[in-house]
Amino acid sequence: MNFSKIGALLLGLLLSVAASAKTIEMEVNGLVCAFCAQGIEKTLKGFPATDAVLVSLEHRLVAVALKDGADIGDAELRHALTEAGYTVVGIRRTDASLETLRAGVKPHD
Amino acid sequence: MNVRLLAAATLLACAPVGAWAKPIAFARGTTVMAEYGAGTMNEIQAFYAPRYWWSLGASWLELKSEDGATQRHIELARANLLAKRWNLPGAQANAFVWGGLGRATGNDFAGSTLARNAGFQADYETRRVYAAFRSDLEESRYFSHRIDTLQLGWAPYAHDYDTVATWFVVQGRRYTGDLVRGTETAFLLRFFKGGVWVEAGASRDGKPQAMAMFNF
Repeated sequence: MNFSKIGALLLGLLLSVAASAKTIEMEVNGLVCAFCAQGIEKTLKGFPATDAVLVSLEHRLVAVALKDGADIGDAELRHALTEAGYTVVGIRRTDASLETLRAGVKPHD
Repeated sequence: MNVRLLAAATLLACAPVGAWAKPIAFARGTTVMAEYGAGTMNEIQAFYAPRYWWSLGASWLELKSEDGATQRHIELARANLLAKRWNLPGAQANAFVWGGLGRATGNDFAGSTLARNAGFQADYETRRVYAAFRSDLEESRYFSHRIDTLQLGWAPYAHDYDTVATWFVVQGRRYTGDLVRGTETAFLLRFFKGGVWVEAGASRDGKPQAMAMFNF
């Protein structure tokens, strides 16, 4: 197997992981109140690919659970949150469910 | 006529979304606010923000003197602009400007008169502290005055989207112009969760204040 085939295989693998990501996590600056969260939730729920949205002010986290087989591009997300009035400082994709993330951001007893 | 009360109520009427609130909640969001002030003021405001940096709306205000002898009604169309926002990790700062145009009627002057409003607000907030300074200029053929308001808020705990936010707010307000001179201090307790906001309190002379606001 030559390097080009290995590269293609790796690329395919990466694309496969990206395509199968369940959730997109974004680190957002400017999240300080319920109105901020409400506006962001409303904006992101406007995407057809969005299944559910989680906003954690404590963790400066905005997470979007995607519908099966659907996706939203990073540029689209950055644009949407910028147009909502906030600054995206990081985006990553994960296979973790929104429920898992929600459990992770809940205050510990 | 209680001119101090009248001036304070006029200011409240002309503040974009009531005391301390921001004049724009969020993009494609509607804000409706109702306020009761010591039995001498009833007010309804509504704004719609097509984008996060501007909103348009209208307000209706009924003012009564303490003895009920004097009444005024002020109706304004308003525009609010977010001139600049700073999004920081765990904090936000804003600079707003606004202006309004409408009419005022009352039984202390004949007919109706053109009413104008212009103002600005600079604020900084985290989930635990809040500071804001606002200045409003109110003008008509029959009155012209400026009201400067400084508000400081403290939250006993850091709220999140799914918890009720609680704030203690101290407000100082200075009046200039031809109606009222002096500074007034008020203490308020505020709760909000999601798009619902309620607050109640009183000024140092014991006059109650209450407000409800809904964002959707």
